[in-house]
Amino acid sequence: MPVQVITGNHAAGYALSVAGEANRTARGVACGIYPITPQTEIVEYVAQFPFSKGRVVPVESEHSAMAVSMGASMNGARAFTASSANGLAYMAENVMVAGYYRLPIVMVAVNRTLGPPWNIWADQGDTLMLRDFAWLQFYCEDNQEVLDTTLLAFRLAEDRRILLPALTCMDAFIVSHTQTGTALPEQADVDRFLPDLDLPHRMHYDEARTLGGLAWPHEGLSMRLEIDEAMKRVADVYQECRESFTEIFGRDPGDVIQTFATDDAKLVLVASGTIATTAREVVRQRRKAGEKIGLVKLKMFRPFPEAALREACQAATRVAVLDRNYAAGAGGIFWQDTRAAFQGHRDDLLIQNYLTGLCGGDVTPTVIDEILADLTARANAGDPVWMGIQTSKETLQ
Amino acid sequence: MIEIRIHGRGGQGGVTLAKLIATSRFLQGLSVQAFGLYAAERSGAPIQAFCRYADEPITNRNLIYEPDHVIVLDPTLVGPVIATGLKTGGWILVNSPEPPGEFANQFARYRLATVDATTIARDNNLGTRSVPIVNTALAGAVGRMLAIPLQEICAALEHLGFKGSNLAAASRAYEEVRLVESPREVGPPEALGAPADERRGPSLLEGAGAALPALKTGQWATEQPRRRQMIPPCNHICPAGNNVQGFLNALARDEPDEALEILLRTTPFPSICGRACPAPCMEACNRIELDGAVNVRQMERYAGDHGVVTPAPLARRDERIAIVGSGPAGLTAAYHLARFGYRAKVFESGAEIGGLLRSGIPEFRLPEDVVAREIDRILGLGIEVETDRRIDRQTLLGLARDHDAVLVATGLQEQRDLQLGMDGTEAVVQGIDFLDHVHRGDVRVDGESVVVIGGGNTAMDAARSALRLGARSVRVVYRRSRQEMPAIREEIHDAAEEGVSIDLLTQPVALHEEPSDGLLRRYRLTCRRMELGEPDESGRRAPMEIPDSDFELTCNRVILALGQSPDVSVFPEGTEVREGTQLLGLLETPLFAIGDLATHDGTIAAAIGSGRRAAVHIHRVLSGAHVRITEHADEYCDVDVWCDEVIRADALKLHLFERQAAAEGESLPIIERRSTFDEVHMGLEDATEAARCLSCGVCNECDLCCTYCPEGVLKRVGHRLEFDYAYCKGCGVCVTECPRSVIFMSHL
Repeated sequence: MPVQVITGNHAAGYALSVAGEANRTARGVACGIYPITPQTEIVEYVAQFPFSKGRVVPVESEHSAMAVSMGASMNGARAFTASSANGLAYMAENVMVAGYYRLPIVMVAVNRTLGPPWNIWADQGDTLMLRDFAWLQFYCEDNQEVLDTTLLAFRLAEDRRILLPALTCMDAFIVSHTQTGTALPEQADVDRFLPDLDLPHRMHYDEARTLGGLAWPHEGLSMRLEIDEAMKRVADVYQECRESFTEIFGRDPGDVIQTFATDDAKLVLVASGTIATTAREVVRQRRKAGEKIGLVKLKMFRPFPEAALREACQAATRVAVLDRNYAAGAGGIFWQDTRAAFQGHRDDLLIQNYLTGLCGGDVTPTVIDEILADLTARANAGDPVWMGIQTSKETLQ
Repeated sequence: MIEIRIHGRGGQGGVTLAKLIATSRFLQGLSVQAFGLYAAERSGAPIQAFCRYADEPITNRNLIYEPDHVIVLDPTLVGPVIATGLKTGGWILVNSPEPPGEFANQFARYRLATVDATTIARDNNLGTRSVPIVNTALAGAVGRMLAIPLQEICAALEHLGFKGSNLAAASRAYEEVRLVESPREVGPPEALGAPADERRGPSLLEGAGAALPALKTGQWATEQPRRRQMIPPCNHICPAGNNVQGFLNALARDEPDEALEILLRTTPFPSICGRACPAPCMEACNRIELDGAVNVRQMERYAGDHGVVTPAPLARRDERIAIVGSGPAGLTAAYHLARFGYRAKVFESGAEIGGLLRSGIPEFRLPEDVVAREIDRILGLGIEVETDRRIDRQTLLGLARDHDAVLVATGLQEQRDLQLGMDGTEAVVQGIDFLDHVHRGDVRVDGESVVVIGGGNTAMDAARSALRLGARSVRVVYRRSRQEMPAIREEIHDAAEEGVSIDLLTQPVALHEEPSDGLLRRYRLTCRRMELGEPDESGRRAPMEIPDSDFELTCNRVILALGQSPDVSVFPEGTEVREGTQLLGLLETPLFAIGDLATHDGTIAAAIGSGRRAAVHIHRVLSGAHVRITEHADEYCDVDVWCDEVIRADALKLHLFERQAAAEGESLPIIERRSTFDEVHMGLEDATEAARCLSCGVCNECDLCCTYCPEGVLKRVGHRLEFDYAYCKGCGVCVTECPRSVIFMSHL
């Protein structure tokens, strides 16, 4: 398995391509895709990949990109796409449709700020806008995790017990454009990991059928319930996929949440993406000084890993949720779901929200220290606190 | 961990340099990151790239604020900002041909290195000449600077697919980079001021976003558009020095008064030249490459005939200037001197002033009222005239005593002869004399066969006049081919059209009288066939006799039009008569020879130019005023650069112009021309022909540049184009759209 110095976008493009190629013995690959900064490198990568069966379809918009991928997926192709920010907003209607069609499409999203103001840097608001559309969502912190999670997402999404589309996310530029050593799996191993796609509700030319036509309330409700049941199975199926991945590639793609020093931690930081990397390093340093601090990295956001999160925070008295996103009028989105996870389980737990790194702000160790200081000092949880605006100002000037 | 920051411009390969450095460390088993700091930048914009490497796994996902070393890809980016946060003693590597010491004062706290990566990249054909890609060369320099062996740098290059010239560039930079290891002893760094306690950035509502920092995209530019003015070929070639493009532009704007005013700055004879000028401007016109020359001659005639301008003296001066001769050179000099305010006096040996303007060009080409009108306009400036006053050597000395300067413009007086055996008899008449008789109306050639010898305008005028005076036949005999005929093309054409036959490559050798039939004398003209040999001193191919090719013509009259030579007897013995601004003789008073007398050129336009130059020169000598003397009176537009270069057709974007044939105007029907001296060409009824002028190399405010500027940073303010260089990215669309090469890109 060669290791190369490549970008996060390159890693994603590679994973999408070899996964698609692995379906060449079945219905092949299909990808409708449209470029947008900072995702464009992915388009460039998949467009030049010499697929044996199937093709990349250049389209005129993100909406059509997803439409092409859906149509191909319904016919048994392994379908994928990629987008970012306002492109995802334009794609949104069909993103929802793919989820409710139960099509195992994999999309890579580069988390970028939704404008205006115009801004191309990291912010999770774009994919979290799609959080209720019956897609699995994973947030990655480095190139290797992007590559591994994307491969794993195909296996998970296509599993008969799940059959839901999956979204792999990475921070704009901090991951998408940063070149680091990344292990690229061999096609033969990918072929072993990803069996041919066999879609139960696949469309056939010789068998006329309607997919997703008019449904009466009890029919529609049943289909929603089916989705809910599938979502509940994800945690277990994920572990199966993870084990298989580890066996084939010799590398653990990581759990749905990843804890660091939480066993006896009184203060727990909950973070995602590259903020988790920085927070982990701060925790490591402060642990050396004997502080009982821990970190939970939320890798999977949909379905939300409630039980795992509760377990990780058993020793904690205070939890800080760091959100690189903001639901206007409510607060951080990871924070809302974290609060809900503890509702009725740990009503004594102080859960405070910190909004930081939005619009591409650089979340430095200093910002994490300030968050920990605030968390330690407060008597009660309060409104979400905006952190690091001054630091962000220094970032790009 | 080592952290490196790279300052460069978009397109130079800064991010790839970061990757090259990272890869060289990665291949040695280190943990690495390489990334750029991206925004909306495009090619040429200042960018930053970063690289960090460490023995341990890297957990830092932040930007680099305190780099260990800094690399600068573009020397224009060198400034205090490149050392921001740089650790004391760190390296600063600059792509520059200068030695590192050049930067020592600016960056005393750091180790310095320089390498001329731009030259190395160009020598290795990396990138383009304007935007060389310098990253692979700098990678070699970085290797030397950071003690990374060259083979490890080359391994990284090869790992990333760089071959050949890139490896050569890296190796050469590795050798050539100059290092200054020790920073100078300096005190501790100044403490940075505490950051303002400004937790929040700007509001979107207050000031409607105006509080956001402006992105001055002009700093992305490596080239900027500038305006220049080049010399249109018509202006360049005009012997009178007229601003042809300028007056055509005024006519195109339907401003005949302004057009005339522009012409009157150089020539007092636009209506005359608009009829009788050979118009070399039309032969030089770039529009020939598209659909035919602009009919400049007719446009000058239009401006002269339709414009209304009364020139007045610009000042009043006491100096007296004598001008000997009242042809176009003398009158032009008098005109300009009078405008400068001098008391000019013209001495004419004949009864009326105007010289050959009156007697040398027949009415059907140049009506007398036109000549009179333009001469009257000159005299209206208050010029004194003395006619019937022949100036000889003695009286010239007198003039010099009584005047502050003397100009001699007596033209060409001596008519050339051909030794045919009957010279000096009534069988042979000089063309100039014939035309003078025509002018006075005391000659007829009814029923005669007339032979005109010569190929110039006098020959054509004599031949055409003879036809109008009742000749039975007129033949022009010329010893070279039509190509070499000095007459105006159009006049040769008109003569042929009217029935003049032209015997080319024919040399008359002898004339004999034949027995007459009683009414008319008869002559036998022996001619010899010629062929063209090598070019002679005139540049034209010399005629060579063909042996045994003699033949004979019978005629009743021979007109000689072989050209004239100057009569220099007026000057002191031994004076070498040269043109224009060369003083003659040893008198204290400035004395100049001008016009045909000095130039032998023979055209009105050249005489005008000579007269104007002499006037300007005298004004400068007498007044001490700094008057610009140029060959051409081109108007300077409000441009950045005056380009002293004649613009050729290949510098124009001819495809941007619509094809449109030149307007020729009506002519008198041929049948009528035999019996009248009425003007043959009637002139154009309007000035729309002027709009065909391409305005080569001179902005005519077409404003395509403003229309197509994609950034909206180019606008017209009055006659000036204003580029907002703070925002101009140097895309060059204005250059592409400018049809006339006015806008060009200038390297920064």
